[in-house]
Amino acid sequence: MNYETLLIGLAGVLAAAAPIIFAVLGETISERAGVINLSMNGTILLTAMSGFAVAYTTDSLFWGFLAGMLIGALVSLVVAFASITLKQSQVAIGFVLALTSRDLAYFLGNPFMGVPGPRLQAMPIPFLSDIPILGPLFFKQEASTYISFLAIVLAWLWVFRTRPGLMLQGIGEKPAAAYIRGANVNFMRYVYTVVGGALIGLAGPTYSLGVRAGWMGTISGLDGIGWIALSITIFGGWNPARAAFGAYLFAFLQWLGLVLQPVLTQVPSQVLQVAPFPLMILTLLLVNIGDAEWVSRTLAAMPESARKFFTKFLRAMRASPPAALGVPFERD
Amino acid sequence: MRSKLSTLFDALLPVIATLAALAVGTVMLLLLKVNPIEAYAALWDGAFGSANSFAETLVKATPLLLVALGICISFRGDVINIGGEGQMIVGAVLATWVGLTFTEAPGWLIIALALVAGFVGGGIWGGIPGVLKAYFNVNEILSTVMMNAIAVQLMNFLLRGPMIDPAQAELASKIPQTARLIDEFHLARLAPTRLHAGALIAVVLAVVVYILLWRTIWGYRIRAVGQNPHASRYAGIKVSRYMVLALLLSGAFAGLAGAVQVYGVNYRMITDGSASGFTGSAGFNGIVAALFGQLHPLWSIPASILFGALLVGANKMQRVVQVPSALITVLNGLVVVFVVSSEIWRHRRQRRRLAAAGEEEAQPKPDQPQVQKEAGQ
Repeated sequence: MNYETLLIGLAGVLAAAAPIIFAVLGETISERAGVINLSMNGTILLTAMSGFAVAYTTDSLFWGFLAGMLIGALVSLVVAFASITLKQSQVAIGFVLALTSRDLAYFLGNPFMGVPGPRLQAMPIPFLSDIPILGPLFFKQEASTYISFLAIVLAWLWVFRTRPGLMLQGIGEKPAAAYIRGANVNFMRYVYTVVGGALIGLAGPTYSLGVRAGWMGTISGLDGIGWIALSITIFGGWNPARAAFGAYLFAFLQWLGLVLQPVLTQVPSQVLQVAPFPLMILTLLLVNIGDAEWVSRTLAAMPESARKFFTKFLRAMRASPPAALGVPFERD
Repeated sequence: MRSKLSTLFDALLPVIATLAALAVGTVMLLLLKVNPIEAYAALWDGAFGSANSFAETLVKATPLLLVALGICISFRGDVINIGGEGQMIVGAVLATWVGLTFTEAPGWLIIALALVAGFVGGGIWGGIPGVLKAYFNVNEILSTVMMNAIAVQLMNFLLRGPMIDPAQAELASKIPQTARLIDEFHLARLAPTRLHAGALIAVVLAVVVYILLWRTIWGYRIRAVGQNPHASRYAGIKVSRYMVLALLLSGAFAGLAGAVQVYGVNYRMITDGSASGFTGSAGFNGIVAALFGQLHPLWSIPASILFGALLVGANKMQRVVQVPSALITVLNGLVVVFVVSSEIWRHRRQRRRLAAAGEEEAQPKPDQPQVQKEAGQ
C-alpha cells in the first residue's frame, strides 16, 4: 500500500467514525445526567431512514439532517418521560423502543429502498486542505465530519470546563446535592436526554446521507451499530474525549479488517466482519476488570514492580459510571 | 398488610395493561382512518379464527415460551439476558449438526440428542457473558448483544461453507441453507396442522422451571442473588457462581427454542444474513412475553400465547385492512412498559416497607447494592 492510499484510508476512518461519534457523545451526555438511552440502536436506524426519506422528498440535505435530529429528540423524549416522570425502568423502556423504532424504520422505509438520493459532497477547506498530510487527512472531509470534530471539543469543554457542565456532572453523580445547590434535577435531565437524543439522531442521517448513502432496509448494515456505540460510551468512561477515541479506534479496526481482507485470503470474510465485536468485549473486559475482587487479590500477591505496572494500567483503563445512572430522582 | 383488593388489582394488571394498549391502538387506527372493529376482527380471526390459525398461534408461541422461561431465570437472578437471538442460533446450529451427521440412528434418539445439543449450545453462548459478568465485571446487556452479532456471522459462515446443503453447493445460486433433516427426525405433529410436539415440551418445561425456581435450593439462591447480592454474600452464597448459572440456563432455554424451531417447523436452517431471518425475533419477543408474564414461568404460558396470537394476527390485519403490522410492535411495547412499570412500583413499595421495618431494628445497613446501577450500564 502506498502513502497516498494510506492517507485516503485514514481520512475515510475519520469520516466513518463521525456518525458513531455523534451517537456516543449523545449517549454520554444523556448518561452523564443519569438517564440511559438504550433505544439508540433503533433510533439510529429510524433517523437514518427518515433523514434519507426527508432529504429525498425535499431534495434538501439540511431538512434531512434536521428531521433526523427531531426524531432522535422525540424518541429520547419518550425515554425521558417514561423514566423521569413515570419513573419506569429505563432499561425496559429503552429496549422496547429500540425494537419498535427498528421495526418502524424497516416498515416505513420500504418505499425508499434503494432509490438514489442526495448525499453529502466533500467540502475541502481552502488553504488548510493544502497542508501536506494534515490537509488531505482532516480538511477534505464532508461537512458532517467537520461537525463531528467540533462536537467532540464542544462536548468536552461543556462537561469539564463550564458551570452548567459541572452541574450536569452533579445531576448524574449526586442528584440530591445538585438539588440542594439549586438545580432543577428532573428538568435538567429532560433537557440533557433530549439534547443527547438529538445528537444520536444526527448519527442516522450521517450514515444515510454520507458514509453509507441511501436506504437499503434490512441490508443497510446499520443494525447493531447502536449497541456498539453503547459499549464505546462505557469504554469512554463517560468522557467525551475518551469516547471519541473509542469511536476512532473502532472505525480504524473496521477499516483494518477491510484492508487485510485481500491479504489474508484464507481467512473467511465473516471473521473480519465479526472481529469488532469480540474486540469490543475485550475492551469492556479491560475497562471493568480492575473492579473484580479476584484481580485485586491476585495483584496483592504479585511482586512490587509488577503490581505497580498492572495497577497503573488497570487504573488508566478503569471507568466508573455516574453514581446515579438509571436511578430516578425523588425529593424527600 | 396488603388488602385483598390490591392483590386482586395486581393480578389483573396485565389484563388492564392489554386493554389500555388496545385502547391506544384504537386511537391510532382511527388516526389511520381504519375501522378499528374491522381491524381487531381481522386480528382475532388471524390468530384464533380456525383450527389452523390457532395452531399457527401456538407454533409462534412455542419459541417465545422457551425463551421466556430462560428469561424468567435470568431476570429473577437480576442478570439481563438480551442474547436470546444468538443463543437460539447457536443451539439450532448444534442441533442441526447432530441431525445431519448421525443419519443412521433411530429418530427418537436423534431428536433427544438434538434437543440436548440445542440446550448445551445455547448454554455455552449464555454462559460466556455469564462468566464475563461474574468474574470480569463486563456488563451483560452489552456482551449478550455482542454475542448475538458473533452468532449471526457464525451462522452465515457455516451455512455458506461447511454446513451448506450439498445440493445447493453444486448450484450457482448457493442459497445459504443446510440440507433438510430426514423425515424420521421431525418432531411429531400433534394434529393435522403445523402444531408440533415442541409446544408440549415447552409447557412441561414451564412446570420444571417453576419447580426449579421455587422448590430447589439452586432456584432459591438464584432468586436470592437477584434480590440482594450483598445479603446473599453474607449468607455464604457464591454470588458469582449463581450469576453464571442464571445466564447459562437462560441461554440454554433459548438454545432449546432454536433446536425446536429447526426440528419442529423448518426442518433445516436457512439464513437471509440477519438473526431475525432465522429466529423471527423470538429471542427478543420472548423477553417481552416473560416480562408480561411477570417473570413467572407458568404465567409466561398465556403471555406467550397472547404475543404469538398478536404476531400471527398482525399479519392478517395487515393484509385485510392495510395497516402496518409495526403497529402491533408498538402495542406490544406499550403493554410491556405498562406491566413492567407496575411491577417496579410494587417492588418499590415493598422495599420501602422493608426499609421502614429494618430501621426500627436499627441494624447497620450494608452499602446500597449496585444492582440498579449495573443494570443500566
